[in-house]
Amino acid sequence: MLFFSMAWRNVWRNRRRSLLTVMAIGLGLAFNIFLRGVTDGWHDEMIDNSVRAEIGHIQIHRAGYHEEPSINKTLPDPPEVERAIRGLPNLLGYSFRVIGSGLASTAENSTGVEILGVDPAQERTVTTVQRVIVSGQYLSSGVGRPVLIGELLARRLKASLGDKLVLVVQAADGSMGAQLFRVTGIFRSGSPELDGGIVYILRSDAQDLFWLGDRVTEAVVLLRSAREVPGAVTALQRNLRRDDAEILPWWIVEPFIKQLIQLDDAFFYVIALIFFVVISIGILNTLMMSIFERTREFGVMMALGTKPGQIVRLVLEEAFGLGLVGLGVGCALGSAATLFFAKEGINLASVKAGAAVTGITSSVVYTELTQVNLIYSSIAVLVVVLVVALYPAARASRLKPIHAIRYV
Amino acid sequence: MDVHALNNVTLALERGSFAAITGPSGSGKTTLLNLLGGLDRPDAGRIQIAGVEVTTTPADKLADFRLRHVGFVFQAFNLLPVLNVVENLEFTPALQGVSKVERRRRAQDLLKAVGLEEIGSKRPNELSGGQQQRVSVLRAIITEPELVLADEPTANLDSANASLLLDMMERLNREKGLTFIFSTHDPQVMERALRVVRLRDGAVIADDTQTHPAISVRA
Repeated sequence: MLFFSMAWRNVWRNRRRSLLTVMAIGLGLAFNIFLRGVTDGWHDEMIDNSVRAEIGHIQIHRAGYHEEPSINKTLPDPPEVERAIRGLPNLLGYSFRVIGSGLASTAENSTGVEILGVDPAQERTVTTVQRVIVSGQYLSSGVGRPVLIGELLARRLKASLGDKLVLVVQAADGSMGAQLFRVTGIFRSGSPELDGGIVYILRSDAQDLFWLGDRVTEAVVLLRSAREVPGAVTALQRNLRRDDAEILPWWIVEPFIKQLIQLDDAFFYVIALIFFVVISIGILNTLMMSIFERTREFGVMMALGTKPGQIVRLVLEEAFGLGLVGLGVGCALGSAATLFFAKEGINLASVKAGAAVTGITSSVVYTELTQVNLIYSSIAVLVVVLVVALYPAARASRLKPIHAIRYV
Repeated sequence: MDVHALNNVTLALERGSFAAITGPSGSGKTTLLNLLGGLDRPDAGRIQIAGVEVTTTPADKLADFRLRHVGFVFQAFNLLPVLNVVENLEFTPALQGVSKVERRRRAQDLLKAVGLEEIGSKRPNELSGGQQQRVSVLRAIITEPELVLADEPTANLDSANASLLLDMMERLNREKGLTFIFSTHDPQVMERALRVVRLRDGAVIADDTQTHPAISVRA
């Protein structure tokens, strides 16, 4: 305890130098925590937007569908799949869909599209397309054959509300299928892919169009949080136990998002490395100066019987004290900034167009503060501090007392 | 050309000695004290202190030897500046693993014995030179070592404080039987020493006769 008291008091002998070091550690750590909070919030937004726009957290298909989609690869035993899905904890919603591709034509133009046949009530529990309708209404079973199209597609086809739209497809039996639909709604999600490439029709209409009977192509699941996905996938695999079904988490369905996140993370780690190099230099400088100034004192301590290992311990405890205070400052500032912007959000209006490529469709990103982030950052700071302190500690411990005592 | 800091010095000092090692600058006084204290090793010869062969003690064990057998009083006081007086006294017992309660008791008893109890909570920079040096003597003896080595202990003190210091050390020598060896130029110290060893050019040129050797030095 006496040594620890000495170490703590030694930290504050040169108050200004120690405060500068503490502030360097603190501000750097705060920046790291905040940056991590921004990237976590950004990533969650990316995932959430993709998940909520179309893909869901988990998709279930017939085995091999993801590799080679085909209207003939329909979902095996939907009732059993539904039972397995309903057994998941933290389930928010699920939907059974028919998915195919075809040609959408109006009097003015035609283009290839992806066709999503959905049950509106089920689909509402998974995706948010009903919230981004800019004119007309969501799919309704009382309106003939309704079709909901994206704003970009509407512009390309020169279609507006009430216009006729023909969908031509290759059905499950190989024949050509075509049906006439009426545009009942136009949506704007902000994602060029969705707005320009997808049409929503009723599931029953899609089953007719593709000659599927009561078969469906996929089940899509939405959970309370993306963090539940790994556990849910495992639970579904355990409960379904079918070789003819594939259960895919969102990062398999949409690897681009995951790759973007990994790229972002790599960038973050580079920033973090730079931060740690900077604080290492600061700590090393502070400790080396302190040791030079106390050469005679170390000599006296060793003359009195202090062992080299105890000198090392003293210097490490001083470094730990500096690191701990810096950590406290950094965690407090970083947490405060992150929590503030978790509530207020960061306005990304100026970069919205670029952000849309990553799946970010809103202008505001909310930061996220996690315990994991705080804990890992704190441990990393303390480890770096102690590792950097080893050199000055070793130098101090190797002083020869006979020379050190006479150092001026 | 080799320069011998000490050359063929044979010295035996009995337990309870109050001896001064004197001589001109470069005579080897400090080197002799460093050898006795295990801060340095002779190129040849033996040093034995209270039965411990210092010369053959491994380097990594010398710190322990100093902790248990030797007390140091330095010319420049050298109290640890971040510790107060009581904590400075507790330092070496703490290194020995003495409990906090016991080392606090020893420190306070010693301060009381020499009339310095009122400065226990002060830091070294709040003390006069004389007070600091008296505290450093107490630090040297708190673990009751076989040997207390004082290198020019009065060099930075005025004569009044030097006298007070010597009074204290004489008392400790008398009452506790502690062995004091001084390296000194100070006539006051030489007057009070019970034995004076004079060095010149690394050799003993004058010495008292030892009666029963407890500390022997051959370097």
